[in-house]
Amino acid sequence: MSRVIAFCFLLLASVLGYLHIDSRPAWVPFVGGDSVENIQGSEELRDPMETSKPVKDLKNASPAKPTQPSLRMDWLPDTGAPSVHAASLIALRDGAVRAFWFAGSREGAPDVVINTAVFDPQAARWSAPTVVMDRVSAEKGLSRYIAKLGNPVPARMADGRMQLFFVTVSIGGWAGSSISTVISDDEGLTWGQPQRLISSPLINLSTLVKSPAILFADGRLGLPAYHEWIGRFGEFLRIEANQVIDKRRMSSGRGAIQPVVFVDGVQDASAFFRQTRSSSQLKQIPVSETRDAGQSWVASKDLEIPNPNSALAALTLANGTRLMVLNNIDAGRYRLVMVIRESNSPQWKAIQVLEDDESLANDQRREFSYPYLVSASGADAHLAYTWDRKKIRHIYFSANWFKHASNSLKEKEAQ
Amino acid sequence: MMNQYMQLIALLELSITCAVVLNILLQKLFQMEFPFAARVALVLLLGNIFFWPLGMSLELPLSAYVRGVTGDLSIVTMLLLWGALLPSPKKTPLEFKAPIALIAIMFYPLALGFGMLDPYAWGYGSIGLLTCVVAFAILCGLAGWTKGVWILSVAIIAWAAHWHESANLWDYLLDPFLAIWALFAIPSAIYLKRREKAQSGYLFRAG
Repeated sequence: MSRVIAFCFLLLASVLGYLHIDSRPAWVPFVGGDSVENIQGSEELRDPMETSKPVKDLKNASPAKPTQPSLRMDWLPDTGAPSVHAASLIALRDGAVRAFWFAGSREGAPDVVINTAVFDPQAARWSAPTVVMDRVSAEKGLSRYIAKLGNPVPARMADGRMQLFFVTVSIGGWAGSSISTVISDDEGLTWGQPQRLISSPLINLSTLVKSPAILFADGRLGLPAYHEWIGRFGEFLRIEANQVIDKRRMSSGRGAIQPVVFVDGVQDASAFFRQTRSSSQLKQIPVSETRDAGQSWVASKDLEIPNPNSALAALTLANGTRLMVLNNIDAGRYRLVMVIRESNSPQWKAIQVLEDDESLANDQRREFSYPYLVSASGADAHLAYTWDRKKIRHIYFSANWFKHASNSLKEKEAQ
Repeated sequence: MMNQYMQLIALLELSITCAVVLNILLQKLFQMEFPFAARVALVLLLGNIFFWPLGMSLELPLSAYVRGVTGDLSIVTMLLLWGALLPSPKKTPLEFKAPIALIAIMFYPLALGFGMLDPYAWGYGSIGLLTCVVAFAILCGLAGWTKGVWILSVAIIAWAAHWHESANLWDYLLDPFLAIWALFAIPSAIYLKRREKAQSGYLFRAG
C-alpha cells in the first residue's frame, strides 16, 4: 500500500516537473548587432565631449595626421586603495557613463570593495566614488560566508533597470568563484539585495564574469562567463533577472577564458577569448562561433593577433565598426593597443597604441590590463583599463577621432 | 521578499542537516545508537545553535559559514541524512548507491569542462533527464526501496517550485557529497561481502 502511495506521489511530481519544463521560455534570437550596455544610449548619436574641455592629450596619441583630434584621458577617482583592478563601464540614460571597479589593499584581500563613479561628459569629470558592495554586505545579502569580491560587470535589463554581476569567492582562490548579482532601479544610485547565480554542479565553484552581456529578443540576457579551475573554458549563460535559466559551453579544455562576444546577426555571433594555453601552444586569440543564437558554439580558427594570457575588450559601434583593446604581445601586459575592423573589411588593424613600455627594462615595465569598452552615443567609445594595478585610466574616443583615425588608416594603406 | 524566504529556508535546512550530521558523528564516536527522543532533542538543540546568529565576532549564523563552503545541498542528500533521524532507519541499498556513483563518475568530468558536451545543461529543462529520473525512481520502488521514490519525487517537486536558488534539476538530485558517499559505498560493500564470505567459510570449515 505504501508503495502505491509513493508511486502516486511520483506521478504528481512527474506532472509538476513536466509542467515546469513546458513553462520554460524557448531559446530566441539575439537582438541584432549590439551589446546590452549600449542600448539605452543608441537613440542619440551626439558627441557630448566634442564641446567639453580637453583633459589631457594621450602620450603617443596620433601616429598619422597632425589634424587628428586628440584623445581625452583621465583617471577614475582615487579611493586611497593601493590596489585597483577590473574596471567596467555602462552608458547611462542621460549620456553619462558609470564605472565599476574593485579596490583594496591587494587583489583578493578581504577589504576589497566594488566602487562606482559617474563620468559627466559635459564637465569631463568623475563624481566622488561610492561603494556598491563590500564583503560583509555581500555575505549578509547572500546569507553565506564570502571571503573576497572580484570582477564587476554591469548590464542593462530589457525593462531599463541596471544589473550588476560580480564575482564572489567563499573558499580558495579565483578558481572558487561564483557569480552574484544586484539590480538597481535608479541608474546605480541604490541597489537591491544581492542574489547568487547557480551555474556549476560542483558546489557552484568556479564561474566568473568579465565581459558585457548580450540581449536576446525576448529581453533576457546572454552573459558570457568562464570557468577557471579544472577546465578553463567559456560558457554562455542565459539569465532571467537573478537566475541562470540555461547555459551553453563556448569552448572546452584549458585554453580559453574571458570571452567577449560580437553579435554578427540575430542568429550569429563570434566569441574571442583570452588564451590560457600551455607554453607549447600558439599565443593567439582563440575564437568560437555560433549560428543558432548561442545554443551551440564551435571553435574556429584563431584570430592571428598575439595574446599573452590577458583580457580583451570589445565593442561594436552603430556604423558596424568593431573595436578591440588588447595586449598584442606574446608575454607581459606592457603594451596596450586598440584594433579596429570596419564593417566592410575582414581585417583587424591596429589603430592606436595606448600604452607601450617596450623600451623599458623588464623589471620597470608596468601592467596595462583588463580593458573595458562602452559607447555612450553609438559613435564614440569610453575605455577603462587597469594601469599598473595602482590606478584605472579612462580614455574617451570621440566620433570625430574615429573618423580621422579611419581616414588616416585608409590613406596609409593607399600609399 | 521571496528571496529572503529562500535564504531563510536554505539556512534552516542546512542548520538541521549540520545537526543531523553531528548527531550521526556523535553516535559513531560513542559507538551507540541514541534513543529516538534523544536524537530529536539533540538535533533541535544543535539546529538552533547553527541557525541563529551567535554574535561575538561572527558576522553570520554558523550555518551561513557552512553554506559558504558547501552551497545548498541537494534535496536527495538532505533527505537521506534527515532519514537517519527516523526511529528505525533502514540502510540505503547498494542498488541505489552504485548507479549514483556511476552517474557521478561520468557527470562531473563532463560538467566541469571535459569536451563540449555538458550534461549539467540538461538540468535546466530537458524532458529526457526528467524521464530518466522518474524511471530511476520507479526502479527504486519496484526494487522495494519506497523511500527512494519519495525522495526523488520531493526533489522533482522542489525543482519545479524553485525551492533553492538553482533552476537546474541536477542541483536538486546530486551534489559532490552524495557522489563521494556513493563512491565509497561500493568498496565498503565489497569488503563487507568478502568478510561475510570469509566468516561463513570459517563456520563450515572441515574439522
